[in-house]
Amino acid sequence: MKSGFATLSAMLRQRSGAVGIVLVIVHLLIALLAPIIIPHDAVAQDAAAILEPPSFAHLFGTDRLGRDIFSRTLLGGREAIVISTLSTICAMVWGCLLGIILALAGGRLDACVMRVIDAMVAIPWILLVMLFVAALGSSTVALIPLLGFSYGLSVIYLARSAALDFVARDFVLAAQVRGESRWTIAVTELLPNIRDSLAVQGAMQWSWIFLAVSSLSFLGMGVAPPTPDWGQMISDARGIMRSAPWAVVWPMVFLSSLIIGVNLSVDAWAKVLSIGQLGRIPQP
Amino acid sequence: MIRFLIAAALILAAFTITVTDAAAEKVFRRANDLSYGGKESLDPISANRFYEVNDMLYSRLVRQDDNGEPAPELATAWTSNATATEWTITLQSGVTFHDGSAFDAADVKYTLERIKDPALESPLASVLDFIDRVDVVDPATARIMLSKPHAGLPLLLMDYRARMIPEGSGANISKTGIGTGPFKIESYDPEGQTVLAANDAYWEGRPKLDKVVFTAIPDSEARNQAMLAGQLNYNTLTLDQISQYKDNSAFSVQNYPAGGWFGLVFRTDTAPFTDARVRKAMRIPVDRTEMLKLMVGEGNGVTGCDQPVKANDPFRAPLECPPDAEGAKKLLAEAGYPNGIDIEVHTADLEPGMVQFAEVYQQQVAKAGIRVKLTLAPSDGYWDDVWMKVPAAITSWSARPADQILNEAYRTGSAWNESYYSNPAYDQILDKARATLDFTAARALYQDAQRILFEEGGTFIPYQQNGLRVLTADVQGVKPLDEDYIRWHLVDLIPK
Repeated sequence: MKSGFATLSAMLRQRSGAVGIVLVIVHLLIALLAPIIIPHDAVAQDAAAILEPPSFAHLFGTDRLGRDIFSRTLLGGREAIVISTLSTICAMVWGCLLGIILALAGGRLDACVMRVIDAMVAIPWILLVMLFVAALGSSTVALIPLLGFSYGLSVIYLARSAALDFVARDFVLAAQVRGESRWTIAVTELLPNIRDSLAVQGAMQWSWIFLAVSSLSFLGMGVAPPTPDWGQMISDARGIMRSAPWAVVWPMVFLSSLIIGVNLSVDAWAKVLSIGQLGRIPQP
Repeated sequence: MIRFLIAAALILAAFTITVTDAAAEKVFRRANDLSYGGKESLDPISANRFYEVNDMLYSRLVRQDDNGEPAPELATAWTSNATATEWTITLQSGVTFHDGSAFDAADVKYTLERIKDPALESPLASVLDFIDRVDVVDPATARIMLSKPHAGLPLLLMDYRARMIPEGSGANISKTGIGTGPFKIESYDPEGQTVLAANDAYWEGRPKLDKVVFTAIPDSEARNQAMLAGQLNYNTLTLDQISQYKDNSAFSVQNYPAGGWFGLVFRTDTAPFTDARVRKAMRIPVDRTEMLKLMVGEGNGVTGCDQPVKANDPFRAPLECPPDAEGAKKLLAEAGYPNGIDIEVHTADLEPGMVQFAEVYQQQVAKAGIRVKLTLAPSDGYWDDVWMKVPAAITSWSARPADQILNEAYRTGSAWNESYYSNPAYDQILDKARATLDFTAARALYQDAQRILFEEGGTFIPYQQNGLRVLTADVQGVKPLDEDYIRWHLVDLIPK
């Protein structure tokens, strides 16, 4: 186990890792500071400045309601970042716990629950989420548990298979002989041993969930207007891609650079921790 | 090798022949926006009427000429008695339905009397329910007897839904589509393709097109892409899409004074919109000039004060309504919302601009303390599942004569009274207006009705907009006029 600092410097020594970390840090800084640094009110509409190309007044141009795309793009990741982070925590907590408990329990319980999980993973996550959003209405509060639930399903596989590697080892058997409860064994014996691969998996989940939130906003089911959001901005401007490419390009660049940044960082992290096979587990 | 070459030549020949055949047949392609979610009906008076198709299948007694004035279609002449309670209609002779049967006065009687059938709940009933009965004088003459005098009957007979169907065909007209129009149904599948074929026996001459195909494409951007890719011959547009077609010789764009509108409907029977003060507060903070500029651009529409009547209608009320956020705040405070109000507005990406309209409204009313939550509903089935169901939703109307729209959308109990507005005084004014034969007096009454709507109605209508459509360059005969003005038998495809 390496210290946090040692891990980070090892990641930075890989070229792709350094690029990824810089991208992520820049994005986090933008998200934090956006409300202070934006030059225009991001929701103010201006009939005199509809679809203006980039200029000094509007660095990224304006959209079809005359809103400043620069300000909207800087603000456009904030809500999705918060939703993704909270959803990832939900997904990791319930996915890890259930996975480890199943690995420990084994037998019929494990087999039955895993078949149910198999069946649920077979349903595309977007259908599941759309179904819930249609029934409950779209709100940030509803999205977090929904995404946490759907993405937690794939975490179960990873946590379970990682835990299975250790279940038959002597120190676990010793704990069982000592009469420790399953819960104690899961938390004190197994969790510390699989923490690294779960953390890497969690970071990966985060980027998938972020894409999911953006997709939902693109479909009009995620972040609601007037709050600017990249997915929503791309959806709004997709019809005018030829005549006003600036309206769609910037949210796309920001969205993809964040995702690429996270992915590069996670790959580098996995290499440092010597964890392979990322992304081979079934994704919802 | 030689065998292979012969086979290749044969295949090529067969392909050439197929292509030549396809080129010879003139197929006009359009899209169905699926706004009734597959329940689109061929019954012209159904609330779910498939009007783009019905325009081609059926004829009216009276149609509009290019200036919107009544012109003969299946009726060649119409006269009324001195009090405008009896109208005598002379019919075109030699007209047959698609099934070969002759069109006569009995069909007129059946069609017009059917509109009032309460079981059908036709939106057209609120427009034409003053028709008491129709007498068949002889096969070529019908006499329409009114329960109340109406000097403007021919104007109302121009309604895009008042289309003649065969006597006794009501039970299955929604599937058969048998009319006297230039095209007849070949196959009917609103969720897939609906195919119309030329009616060789059409009384004004065989249509120039051989087939018209309507393909279901619910998403407005997908329709636009299909148009750009040459898969459609005809589509409606938004202003910002024009640039995609402007310098392209493969298309022609039409910008025409249409008078249709998007509106925001607040259900007057649902809290908090049961309070007329709240309803007015929802409408008056908006800068309508700014909204027009943002939505359709200056010069592509005319602002109004929630009048559903288009700008060049002689009965339109001349109202002024500068933005008044303070007035709205005051009204809200009086109604018990001193700290502003939260409302939810439903819209859908159904017609281009419908989502934007809601976004502009949201921003415009924020200054009056009205906090709008926008909910994007699915496009398919919007008119069935969302509109007239939720408390506040975006609506879209095409222009109609003043008397028609004021009755159809605001009279107590009308099928398409989308705001569930009910005001006996308003209804009485309309009754009086219909019975008034003097133009100036009738106009004063219709204008009073519009003033009432501005003061306490539930529908926000900031402007009436021009129509925008794009055609492929080979389309001939579509004039820059509203959909139901188009004379489809004259439309042609002539490759350049």
